[in-house]
Amino acid sequence: MTDGPAEHLIYADRLVKTYPDGDVHALNGVTVGVRPGQHVAITGPSGCGKSTLLNMLGMLDRPDGGEIYFRGEPLSKHANLDHFRARQIGFVFQSFFLIPTLTARENVQVPMFEGPRLSARERAEKAEALLELVGVAKRASHLPKQLSVGERQRVALARSLANDPVMLLADEPTGNLDSDNAVKVLDLFASLQKSRNLALLVVTHSDEVADRADRVIHMKDGRVLSDSATR
Amino acid sequence: MYFVSFILKNLTRRPVRTALTVLGLAVAVGSMIALLAVSYNVEKSVESAFDRRRVDLVVMQAGKSSGLNSDFSEYLVEEARKLPEVAKVSEGVVDVTDMTRDSGASDPVLIQGWRLDNFGFEDIQIQPGGRMLERGERNKIMLGRTLATNLNKKVGDQIVFGGNKENPYEVVAVFKSFVVFEEGGAIVPFEDGQLLTGKRVTGFSVRVKKVSPDSAAEIEVVRQKLEALRDAKDTTVRLAAQTPDTYVTSVSQLKLIRAVAWLVSAIALAIGVISMLNTMAMSVLERTQEIGILRAVGWPPLRVISMILGEAVVLASIAAVGGTVIAFLGLHLLTLSPKVNGFIEPELALVVILRGVGITVLIGVLGGAYPAFRAAHLLPTEALRHD
Ligand SMILES: Nc1ncnc2c1ncn2[C@@H]1O[C@H](COP(=O)(O)OP(=O)(O)O)[C@@H](O)[C@H]1O
Ligand SMILES: [Mg+2]
Repeated sequence: MTDGPAEHLIYADRLVKTYPDGDVHALNGVTVGVRPGQHVAITGPSGCGKSTLLNMLGMLDRPDGGEIYFRGEPLSKHANLDHFRARQIGFVFQSFFLIPTLTARENVQVPMFEGPRLSARERAEKAEALLELVGVAKRASHLPKQLSVGERQRVALARSLANDPVMLLADEPTGNLDSDNAVKVLDLFASLQKSRNLALLVVTHSDEVADRADRVIHMKDGRVLSDSATR
Repeated sequence: MYFVSFILKNLTRRPVRTALTVLGLAVAVGSMIALLAVSYNVEKSVESAFDRRRVDLVVMQAGKSSGLNSDFSEYLVEEARKLPEVAKVSEGVVDVTDMTRDSGASDPVLIQGWRLDNFGFEDIQIQPGGRMLERGERNKIMLGRTLATNLNKKVGDQIVFGGNKENPYEVVAVFKSFVVFEEGGAIVPFEDGQLLTGKRVTGFSVRVKKVSPDSAAEIEVVRQKLEALRDAKDTTVRLAAQTPDTYVTSVSQLKLIRAVAWLVSAIALAIGVISMLNTMAMSVLERTQEIGILRAVGWPPLRVISMILGEAVVLASIAAVGGTVIAFLGLHLLTLSPKVNGFIEPELALVVILRGVGITVLIGVLGGAYPAFRAAHLLPTEALRHD
């Protein structure tokens, strides 16, 4: 099996990212590829560039050097990555980042404005279905502050699936959860990843989270230290 | 959920701030709408007076287009009357003169000296108990009903000008007119008008004989002939003849009112934009992380701009409604004040409301533009790190 951009859903080739303030070299030539449906964990000490890598792969920011390929296509060709991101990628964050003024049902609909064209009613129905899928349908009309942290992360997970992405990016998704809730949310990730054949990248500090992955990438100082796929 | 619902929810999250912003804007916009209305109503009132009285041309001394400082000889009026195309001429002396109250205080009052055979004033309605001025009468006066109310005078009472108690005027009528400042003023015989103002004639109106369907061309011919009239004894005087439409836009008092109205509008606009800018900038700053999330889930900058601008425009629109209500109440309060009720009508014309609403929406767009632009250009990764 060859191992270039064409064989991967997303492929980062020798990524370099430098933040101007403080001249931080967050990424120093990182090369990783993720195949469709693959479950990858990224671990490493704080500040080693995990989030930066995830943001690059999620097209939230552009690298200063190197190239990212999505389905073999170099992203630097595209002036506008918002559309890509809206339809192909789902994000889950450590602190959930739900919109406080919107109910669970409405939060799930936020990405749908940029997804395939749906009527307001279809959006609401789809949101209901997704909340059902993550087990918080009963809480659909609640505001984030009325939900437990576990429920909030489930709603965030439902939101990440709003436009049926092919890839989920999760940055320490259990970092703010107690171990009970963490296990439940991780089970949910696992089952969704299987049933929807999602590529799933999870940044984590926790060995339990990393152990669930098909593959673990260990980073340090903006470089890949080890990658279980290449071991 | 609709996009609009999201916008509305963002506004209700800080109800006090939203309410204060709306209130501040509404007051600014309300005073603007009220002044625009005053200016508009005065112009409309003058226009409709000429219209109803079927005046084709208004003649004043050239270069003194306010009408109040115009002054020329009756000879020119006679010459105008002789023009074959002229059907009727109606001359007057009009000026603001001090009327002395019983207390000794004085108020400036618009007085019009009329010839009794003037055309066009048939529509003055004498109120019961009064009578029209009669030919050859002197020292008689008819009071507009607003003025009569302000002065608390009725038929049979006496009016004193410039403190001259030896030469009082007797009120023979209180009248209604559809011209608001006629109701706020008084009418005296022509010769008394000349005495009170110290002027010969301040202006005259002309009704043109119309024979062909193209009356505009006929009026133009008369207009040029009128402007060509000369008084050999008073060679410096030239006449300016204007159609009522042109006249209304050139009268300096009306110009002044218009200028003040627009100046206040500009100030309201500036205050509005600054307050909107402040509110929206704060709101964007507070929501930096949220905006980061919206970008992360795929919202393009344009949708973020629509959201922030949408919020600003909704705020402005609510303020526009509030401002219209404030203007309406304010105008009605103003008409209760004797100082101004002589020339203010409380009506709010639709065009004025639309103009005010238009400016307010502009406030929303201008005040929201920069915060919206800032929000749209936040780097999503930076925004998510913000706290
Ligand atoms: N937006 C930014 N501006 C400046 N420095 C940044 C920014 N984002 C990350 N960094 C720095 O880059 C390095 C890598 O950060 P990050 O990718 O967040 O690490 P990790 O997620 O592994 O903890 C850190 O030193 C961090 O301080
Ligand atoms: Mg991180």
